[in-house]
Amino acid sequence: MENREEKIHPPFPLSPEGRGRGEGELQMVKYRTYVFVWMGLVTLTILTYTVAVGIHPGGWAILVALAIAGTKSSLVLNYFMHLKSERLLIFKVIIPLVMAVFLVFILLTFSDVVFRGVVE
Amino acid sequence: MTSAEATESVHSRISFYEDRRGILSWILTLDHKRIGLLYLIFVIAFFFSGVVLGFFMRLEMVAPGGTIMGPQTYNALFTLHGIIMIFLVVIPAIPTILGNFFLPIQIGARDVAFPRINLLSWWLYISGATVVFFSVFTGGGPPDTGWTFYAPYSLRTNVNVPLAVFGVFILGMSSILTGINLVTTTHRLRAPGMTWKRLPLFVWAIYSTSWVQILATPIIGITMVLVLLDRFFGVGIFDPTKGGDPILYQHMFWIYSHPATYIMILPAMGIVSDVIPVFARKKIFGYTAIAISGMAIAAVGSLVWGHHMFVSGQSDFADILFSFLTFLVAVPSAIKVFNWVATLHKGSIVIEPPLLFCLSFIFLFSIGGLTGLIQGALAPNMHLHDTYWIPAHFHYIIFGGMGFGLFAGFHYWFPKMFGRMYNRERAMRAWAVMFVGFNIFYFSMLLLGWEGMPRRYWDYLPQFRTLHLAATFGSWILIAGLILMFSNLFHGLFKGKKAHDNPWDAATLEWQIPSPPPTENFEKIPVIQHGPHDFKEFENNG
Amino acid sequence: MDEAKAPVFEGAIDYTGAKLGMWLFILSELLLFGGMFILYTVYRYKSPADFHHASKELDVVLGTLNTIILLTSSLSVAVSITALQRGGRRLSAVLLMITMALGLLFLVNKGFEWTTKIGHGIYPNSPILLARPKGEILFFGLYYVMTGLHGLHVLVGVCVLCVMLILVAKDRINPMHFVPFENAGLYWHLVDIIWIFLYPLFYLIT
Repeated sequence: MENREEKIHPPFPLSPEGRGRGEGELQMVKYRTYVFVWMGLVTLTILTYTVAVGIHPGGWAILVALAIAGTKSSLVLNYFMHLKSERLLIFKVIIPLVMAVFLVFILLTFSDVVFRGVVE
Repeated sequence: MTSAEATESVHSRISFYEDRRGILSWILTLDHKRIGLLYLIFVIAFFFSGVVLGFFMRLEMVAPGGTIMGPQTYNALFTLHGIIMIFLVVIPAIPTILGNFFLPIQIGARDVAFPRINLLSWWLYISGATVVFFSVFTGGGPPDTGWTFYAPYSLRTNVNVPLAVFGVFILGMSSILTGINLVTTTHRLRAPGMTWKRLPLFVWAIYSTSWVQILATPIIGITMVLVLLDRFFGVGIFDPTKGGDPILYQHMFWIYSHPATYIMILPAMGIVSDVIPVFARKKIFGYTAIAISGMAIAAVGSLVWGHHMFVSGQSDFADILFSFLTFLVAVPSAIKVFNWVATLHKGSIVIEPPLLFCLSFIFLFSIGGLTGLIQGALAPNMHLHDTYWIPAHFHYIIFGGMGFGLFAGFHYWFPKMFGRMYNRERAMRAWAVMFVGFNIFYFSMLLLGWEGMPRRYWDYLPQFRTLHLAATFGSWILIAGLILMFSNLFHGLFKGKKAHDNPWDAATLEWQIPSPPPTENFEKIPVIQHGPHDFKEFENNG
Repeated sequence: MDEAKAPVFEGAIDYTGAKLGMWLFILSELLLFGGMFILYTVYRYKSPADFHHASKELDVVLGTLNTIILLTSSLSVAVSITALQRGGRRLSAVLLMITMALGLLFLVNKGFEWTTKIGHGIYPNSPILLARPKGEILFFGLYYVMTGLHGLHVLVGVCVLCVMLILVAKDRINPMHFVPFENAGLYWHLVDIIWIFLYPLFYLIT
C-alpha cells in the first residue's frame, strides 16, 4: 500500500515555494524515534525533580528548571511536532519569533517592576 | 471548490452576487467576497452607532455642567463609544472588509486558505457584538470604566463590565482567526510568478497586520478573562487588596492595545500605498522600503506600550525606555510618508475621490503622528496625559488616518465590488465638508488639551467654553460630511452608472477581472509577469 | 482545516497550508498562556518567599506523575498518527484511545488536587486564603487560573481526539487524508508543552 501521500494536482497551483520542495510529502518517523524521545523526556523530568527536591541549587534553581523545561519542549517541538523536518522558512521562524515576542514583553514589563521606587 | 468543469466555468462567468441567492447563501457563505460584504454591512452599522454616541457626547459637552444627561450616562457613552469604535469598527474594518475581499484576488487566488474559518470569524464578530450590546441593557447597565477597563475600578463598579469584557474576548478570537487566515493565504495561495516582491503593497500591509493580530491579541484575551475571573471568583490578580498590581493590568492591557493601533493603521497605509501610484500614474517610490517599514512598524510598535502609562506609577527607567522606543517607531512611519510624497512628485496626477482621501490621510496622519511625538516625550506628557490632547491625537490618527484611508479604499474599490460608479462630484464635495469639519472639531480638541481640559470629564470650567463650542460645531459639520459621503455611495450602489472593469487603469490583479468579480475570481489562475505598478501606458517601454 | 468536503482525491487540500494555519493558532495559544507567565514572573519576583512557602502545599508527587502522564500521552498520539499513515488503522485507534484515557487521567488527578485544596479552604477569595500573605494569595490565584485554563485545554483536546477517533473509525481519516489528525496531534503536544513549563514553576519552587 502506498504509504506516502499522493502528489495532488489541485485545480489551482500551489504557491511557487510549495512546488518541487517536497511539498505534500509527509514525514515518516520511525516508531523507535518517538520512544527514544519519550525516554529522554521522562529522564529530564526525573532530573528536574531531583535537582529541585534533592539538590537545592538555591538561586540557580529557576534557571536550571527553565533550561530543562526548554529542552523538553524542544524535543516535543522538533520530534513529536515534526518541526525539525519542516523545510520551509516560515516553520523555522515561528517558534523563535514567539520566544522573541514573549521575551520582549517580559523584559519591558520588568523594566518597570524592577526599578519601581528608583528615581532616575 | 469543485473540479467539475461545467460548474467551474459557471463560477467564473457570472458575478458572485448572482451565483446563489437567498439569505442563507450569504450568512453561510464560504466566498471571501460575500464575507467581506457581510462585514461591511455591520461595520458601517456599528460605525454609525458609534457616531451617534459621539454626537450625543459632543452635544452634552457643548456647555459646562449638565446639558442633556448626567455624569453616569456620559461615562457610559464614552465607554461604549470607545468599545464600539475600537473593537467593532476600527480594528476589524479594513482587514475583514477590504482584506477579505481583495487580498485573495490581488495575489491571484480563488479564495482564502480557510474559507470556513473565515465564516467562523464573521460569526464570532457578530456574537461578540451581540454580547457587547447586551451589556448595555443588562447587569446594571453599560460599563462606565472607559474602553480601557482599568483595574481596580473595573473589578468593583456595579455595571455590566463582565458582559462587555466577554464580548471583547470573543471579538479577539475573531481577530486572531482572521490573522491566521490571511497570513496562510499570503504564504500559500499566491499565483505562479507572484513573488513577494510583486505583491501589491496592500497585501504587504494586511500581512504585517495579520501577524500583529495573531501575536498581540491573545494578551488582551487573557486580560479580559482575568477581569471576569476576578469579578466572579475574586481571584485577585489585579486587585491591590489581594496583592495584585493595577499597573500590571495596564501593562497587560496596553501590550495588546498599543499594537492594536497598528492593526488599525497599517491596512490604511496599505490602501494609500496602492492608490497613490494609480493616481500619480507612477510606480511607488521605494517599494521595498514601504513593504519592510510596515513590518518594522508592526515590530517596533509592539515595544512602546508603556507610553500610555507614563503617569501611572511605572518606574522612571521604564518611562525613559518606552519614550525612546516611541520616538523610534516614528521613523518607519515617516519613511512611508516621504515615499508617498516622492511618488506624487513629478507624477501625472489624476484628481479623483480616492486620491483626495489619500492626500488628506497624509496630512491628517502627519498631524496625528507629530502630536504623538509631543506626547511621547516625558515632560509634555505629564501635562497632556488624560487631557483632550490625547483623544485629539488619536482621532487624527484613527479617524483622519485609518478612517480616511478606509474611505479612500471604499471610493477606489467601489466600482470593483459593486459594478457601479458613484457620483464623482458629490464624493469630492462630501470629502471637503468632512475635511473642514474634522479639523475644526479635532484641532479645537488639541487646543483644549493643551489648555488643560481633562478628558472623560462631564463638566468643565467656563474658560473652556469657546473651544468646546467650536468642537461641537465641527462635529456637526463632520457628521454632515459623513452623511453626504455615505448617501452618495449608497445612491451609487443602486442608481450608479455601470462601471468598467478597470475605471482607474490600475495594474493590480483585481482590475483585470470583471466588475463585480465572478465567484472564483479567475477563469484561469494567471501567471504573473510584472509588478503592481506596471501601468498600461508603460507597457511598451518595458 | 481543509476546504474539501468531497472525497479524498479532490485536489483542493493544501497539506502544508493546513499545517501552517494550525501552527499559527498554536502561536496564539502560546501567547495566551504567555500572558499568564508574564504575570507569574512578576509576582514571583516580588514575593519569592511567599511563592516558595505556598508551593510546598502542592503535591509534588502528583504533579510529577501528571507530567509523566502527559508526556506519555504525547508519545501515544504521535505514534497513533504515524500508525495511521502506515495504514495501521486499528493500532492508531487503540493509541488514540490510550491518549484520551491518559488525558482524562490527568484531569482526574487535577480534580483530586483541586478538591483537596478547596477542602482545606484554599481557593480564590476564601477567608483562609485571604488571611495569608499577599504573595501566597497571588500564588494560588495564578495556580488556579493557569492550571484551570490548562485543564480546559486538556478537556478540549480530549474532545478533539474523540472526534478524530470517530473519523478514523469511519475511514474519513486515512493515509490519503490525515491532515486534521496531524493538526489535532499538534494541539495535544501544545497542551503538553504548556504543562512542561507549569510543572516546575508551580511544583518545584525551592
